[in-house]
Amino acid sequence: MIRQVSIFMENHEGRLNKMLKILAENNINIRSLNIAETMDYGIIRLILQETEKGIEVLKKNNIRCTLTSVLAAEVPDQPGGLSNLVDALTQAKINIVYAYSFLPKKTENAIIIIRVDDEVQQKAIETIEKISTVNLLDAETLLMK
Amino acid sequence: MYWNKSCECMPREKLQELQLERLKEMVNRIYHDVPFYRNKFQEAGLVPEDVQELSDLQKLPFTTKVDLRDNYPYGLFAVPLEKIVRIHASSGTTGKPTVVGYTRKDITIWAEIMARSLVAAGADSHSVVQNAYGYGLFTGGLGVHYGAEMLGASIIPISGGNTDKQIMIMKDFGTTVLTCTPSYAIYLGDALKKKGIDPESLKLKVGVFGAEPWSDSMRKEIEKKLKIKAHDIYGLSEIMGPSVAIECEAQNGLHIWEDHFIPEIIDPVTLKVLPYGEQGELVITTITKEGIPLLRYQTHDITSINPEPCGCGRTHLRINRLQGRTDDMLIIRGVNVFPTQIESVLLELGEVEPHYQLIVRREGSLDTLEIKVELSEEMFSDKISNLEKLEKRIALRIHSTIGINAKIALVEPGSLPRAEGGKSQRVLDLRKI
Ligand SMILES: [Zn+2]
Repeated sequence: MIRQVSIFMENHEGRLNKMLKILAENNINIRSLNIAETMDYGIIRLILQETEKGIEVLKKNNIRCTLTSVLAAEVPDQPGGLSNLVDALTQAKINIVYAYSFLPKKTENAIIIIRVDDEVQQKAIETIEKISTVNLLDAETLLMK
Repeated sequence: MYWNKSCECMPREKLQELQLERLKEMVNRIYHDVPFYRNKFQEAGLVPEDVQELSDLQKLPFTTKVDLRDNYPYGLFAVPLEKIVRIHASSGTTGKPTVVGYTRKDITIWAEIMARSLVAAGADSHSVVQNAYGYGLFTGGLGVHYGAEMLGASIIPISGGNTDKQIMIMKDFGTTVLTCTPSYAIYLGDALKKKGIDPESLKLKVGVFGAEPWSDSMRKEIEKKLKIKAHDIYGLSEIMGPSVAIECEAQNGLHIWEDHFIPEIIDPVTLKVLPYGEQGELVITTITKEGIPLLRYQTHDITSINPEPCGCGRTHLRINRLQGRTDDMLIIRGVNVFPTQIESVLLELGEVEPHYQLIVRREGSLDTLEIKVELSEEMFSDKISNLEKLEKRIALRIHSTIGINAKIALVEPGSLPRAEGGKSQRVLDLRKI
């Protein structure tokens, strides 16, 4: 299980920048960043190299954040690599709430972060583990990639 | 259980006869003894004899807080100072306090209706009452004190503050009834928890809370934290002090002691009397008070009157829990809107301590309402669709509550301006009229 830092942010100029700066100034490495937005606000989703420290500095700077548990799957970087995964989840009737890619430094494989509903997370884990070409990663392994 | 069954359960017809008799006598008295009222009657072309029925009250002039201020300090007293045995005052938000005086009979009546109120809330002569209302110019402390003494309960006049001592006394003295403001009750509940004291281990059974508006969700919180039944008590110093109205065991509205006070609900803008059930400003006439009798006093409190008979057997009308103050009222597209209505919607939807701001604008000739709501941790979701659903849910509930389509804007926690006391500054009226 991977801990993702989720932040609610209004769409004001400079808000995102400020947050990124705070993390940079505290030497916290952002391993993945995803933004979902509407007209008025967005949700920033972050995978940080050091989650605890990241939360601490954000809170210190009055940026409220919440932890969300997500899954990380390593798939071969070749055509069809991702579709095996999606097919398996679809067949198990598991809805992917959102997904985005993680940027590995030490592997050629693609790593994808997947958010499913909490109630079906266990089922999703079991489903993914059964796919031979896909490797489900724990937090430690993910952050070493 | 009643304190004074014949008064509390008096058949309504008889109660109204008594009210009329007392109203006539009161009007006569203020006309002759208070120059302010005589002038008002004369300006309106009225004489005391114009009051022949209870409904004639509607023709009579109102009294406002401004009138009290203009006649500071003793101008509205109906008796010479030698007849006054106690003076209380409430601090105004600006300048001079509002001063009220009580004759010996007033003090006795006050104690009597406080005793009734305490009994209605579940107290009796065996009760040990810890009175954490402030003693002093404020009416809360002494108001409860005299009523509890009349009841024959054991009163602990600890006054407000000093939480450690409150808890020690609560434990050691075997307090069964707690009287204080609802916010202090929550504070005490939290303090108990911090000290690791199980409220079940205390003898506390009942709380009588007032002097500030509170919601049903606050009641639930207090009842859970202190393991008691929490009753709302209403009053204001201009009228008497606490015990003008009390929640009985049904906990569904507050009986207003009609043998001493006549309540009316008016539209705060047109000043027209509204029928039972409609929400508006509470207006009270004191029909037995000697020191400073007030005719149709505008309380600025928003509520409605429930005329349904109550299961407890008391025949006196009930006012519903206060919905806010007219001072906070906004008129949007002709609809009266109170910030507390928005608050109660947010509370219903699971917010614990809602921070919100109402922004009213005029676009062309149309008023628009935007409600900024700080997204609390409880309501946060990392899914956009959930946040959009939340906005829709809030908008829908707001619409069904006040009948206005408001634009809901979720904002970052902690981003709304805070007024004193940590509450958010609630209203921004940007209309230029
Ligand atoms: Zn009742």
